[in-house]
Amino acid sequence: MRPLTDEEMKTVLDKLANYMSDLKSLIAPLEDGDRYVFRLNHSRVYYVKLSIANLATSISRDALLSLGTCLGKVTKTGKFRLHITALPIIAAGARHKIWVKDNGAQPFLYGSNVVKAHVGRWSEDCPEHQGCVVYSMADVPLGFGVTARSTAEARRLDPTGIVCFRQSDCGEYLRDEDTLFAG
Amino acid sequence: MAPTRTIKNKHAAPKAGGSSGGKGPRKSSDGGISKPKGKSGPKAKLPATQIKGRPNLPGLDKNKKKKQRVYTEKELGLPELNMITPVGVTKPRGKKKGKVFVDDKESMTTILALVQADKDGQIESKMMRARQMEEIREARRAEADKKEAERSARLEDTKDSLRRKRKRATGAAATAEEEENVKAVAATGTKAAKAKKKKVSFAAE
Repeated sequence: MRPLTDEEMKTVLDKLANYMSDLKSLIAPLEDGDRYVFRLNHSRVYYVKLSIANLATSISRDALLSLGTCLGKVTKTGKFRLHITALPIIAAGARHKIWVKDNGAQPFLYGSNVVKAHVGRWSEDCPEHQGCVVYSMADVPLGFGVTARSTAEARRLDPTGIVCFRQSDCGEYLRDEDTLFAG
Repeated sequence: MAPTRTIKNKHAAPKAGGSSGGKGPRKSSDGGISKPKGKSGPKAKLPATQIKGRPNLPGLDKNKKKKQRVYTEKELGLPELNMITPVGVTKPRGKKKGKVFVDDKESMTTILALVQADKDGQIESKMMRARQMEEIREARRAEADKKEAERSARLEDTKDSLRRKRKRATGAAATAEEEENVKAVAATGTKAAKAKKKKVSFAAE
């Protein structure tokens, strides 16, 4: 387990900035004087309290399975891939949102893209190919994706047209159970 | 029985040759041992050729070594191969080995602010572009609608003009009929039209 390098930190924050409007809240000091930090172990990036990260130094790299919240994985080419486990952090400061109707929640959780017919409402002034968080109508975050059309274009779209390309959904907790936390 | 003898002879030949040289040539004169002798002939000649070649070889090697020179790609001026080197993989030369970690709050905040500003700028420009494109599309659509309306108006005009023309053409024949009708009405009065109704009545006797 080690802190992130300059480049790694940039790539991680760059990816997070696609979905989040306020990144400063990520590293803001907590009430008890503690703060959150980013740690890397087995090419996975964890978002963890500094006190817990310091405690985790007593555990060897191989033995350390996980700590804090896993944000995602750094690929071998140096890019960063967000995992579904990062959803609570992203959803807290989401830049753009899409609310999916009840009839569209299940198809999304099974891994399909969001079509216009399933959209309950969406945030205004959203450009295309921009990260967005997908919520149910009860404001429960289901996953995140990338908008296929801008809001203005999506209004003119036919009901079967794709509005948001799925990147990750809560169904992955079951579907990718074997590879999500290790391997 | 003859083949068995030859086999025995074959095995025996080297031993016999090694032990006593005088007996060997005698046996070689027989037909059975002629084959190994023929094979051994060229083997004996080979060292002679090697000896001839040996004094020349070092000289040749020296010449070759002088001629051989490895040119680098820069010397030859060859274009570099179009290989993909991902950003994360390339490591700048001349830099100190090892990673520089970002753990202190200040450096994290600076990186965060940089990334945030960069991303905000990108999104803003994207939205601006999207708005401009939307405006252009809107203007085009309005123009197209206007053109469509003009075309439909022109079509209506032509339709009307065609109708009028038809009326004029048929007007000459129609006026004569109308005049007759008017005369009949004038003669019989407007009520006369009602009198045209067919009535059935019994004839009075």
